[in-house]
Amino acid sequence: MTPTVSLGGPGLACSAMRVRRLLAGELSGPERARAEEHLAACTRCQAARADIEEEGRALARVLPFEAFAAGVAERMARPAPRRLGRVLAPALAACLALAAAVPLVSRVLERGGADREPFRTKGGVSLEVFVQQPGGARALGAGEPVAPGARLRPVLHPGAWRQAALALVDADGVAVLYAGPARPGPLPGAFEWTGGGTAGTLVLLLADEPLDPDALRARLERGGPPAPPAMRAEVVRVPLGRAAAP
Amino acid sequence: MARFAVIAGGRAADEARRGGGAEPARLPAREGGLLADLYARHAAAVLGRCRYLLKSDEAARDATQEVFARALRSLPEFQGTASPATWLMRIATHHCLNELRAARAGWREELRRAGEARSHAGVEADKRELLRALLGAAQPEEQEMAVLYFVDEMTQAEIAEATGRSLPTVRKRLRGFLAAARGALAEACPGLSLPEGDDL
Repeated sequence: MTPTVSLGGPGLACSAMRVRRLLAGELSGPERARAEEHLAACTRCQAARADIEEEGRALARVLPFEAFAAGVAERMARPAPRRLGRVLAPALAACLALAAAVPLVSRVLERGGADREPFRTKGGVSLEVFVQQPGGARALGAGEPVAPGARLRPVLHPGAWRQAALALVDADGVAVLYAGPARPGPLPGAFEWTGGGTAGTLVLLLADEPLDPDALRARLERGGPPAPPAMRAEVVRVPLGRAAAP
Repeated sequence: MARFAVIAGGRAADEARRGGGAEPARLPAREGGLLADLYARHAAAVLGRCRYLLKSDEAARDATQEVFARALRSLPEFQGTASPATWLMRIATHHCLNELRAARAGWREELRRAGEARSHAGVEADKRELLRALLGAAQPEEQEMAVLYFVDEMTQAEIAEATGRSLPTVRKRLRGFLAAARGALAEACPGLSLPEGDDL
């Protein structure tokens, strides 16, 4: 006899979605009371609750809020698919208008360090800067001054390059914000620009080989090119500005 | 040196110096706002659905962010729904099934492996894997309703309400899924079958 396997499905009073809705605070009144009473006595629904709790632990590990918010903001800054076009709530529409307003995306590309090597671009390379704010994030507009205390979140578009390093250059010198794998999307963390002066530059160096943050800092402090002479690389610069202190 | 302050959840230059790739620190509970509230209430469920269907943390991250961007673009509809959790899970399921259809080539092989793995895992674990593999044999609407019925354990009436389909249509789609699943299972895993009958 061929062994059979059941695919499951809802039970007489069991539903994983009902447990999910209960935990999300979507049930009220008698429906909530019934669901709570059932959950307290049902091992199947308790197992569903355990699965849901495990999802919560996975969320903190796989997609922390900062990365989530920046990723959502980045997608909202893209043109909406036509089939999804809907009337937006006024507050959200205002937020989206800001996000869609000429984002600060630098495509100032430079040759890598090898003068005799042909310049090689891997396509789609750019760096965006988002400003995080309660309830979401928006793209920093071109020429828009960085507000005091603003949380800035760089978003990489590294093309096919494998390694990336990002440095902040301002009147106080150079600080390396990131060095590691060139993963497309937001960097894991935000930063606040606290250095001196009214102008700064984010310098993104992309290459296929691992990048040494100390060497990058030293080259930029000397005013030299970000990449060493023999390296095939691509550089993106994003200017930052802010109003002079009164 | 240029000065900057790392925001909670961020990565300091010293950490970068160790050679990137480290997981970011966990973000402490923080300010409110719509997105933070959506994250706290629903992101875990959506990410879980995307991880189950896409089998990749990276793809699931992208899909989760896309689902919430869609929710925000459709905010009046989202806020007007009786169950935001159901609405989001349906959007996530639909999005992931589309991704799978676009990329899927070897669901029969996946089905064969899921059948073989049955003898090495608990019934609950391989039941979901088997269902995931069987989805490839069904039509798009049958796939979505199968996930809502077998994974989310929604009743047919709840599925009808969530999808805007009639109860007979829901039943027809689920029967269609079971028929396709039985055929695929007989072909890929002759030693395994679904229970007879389609009393849904």
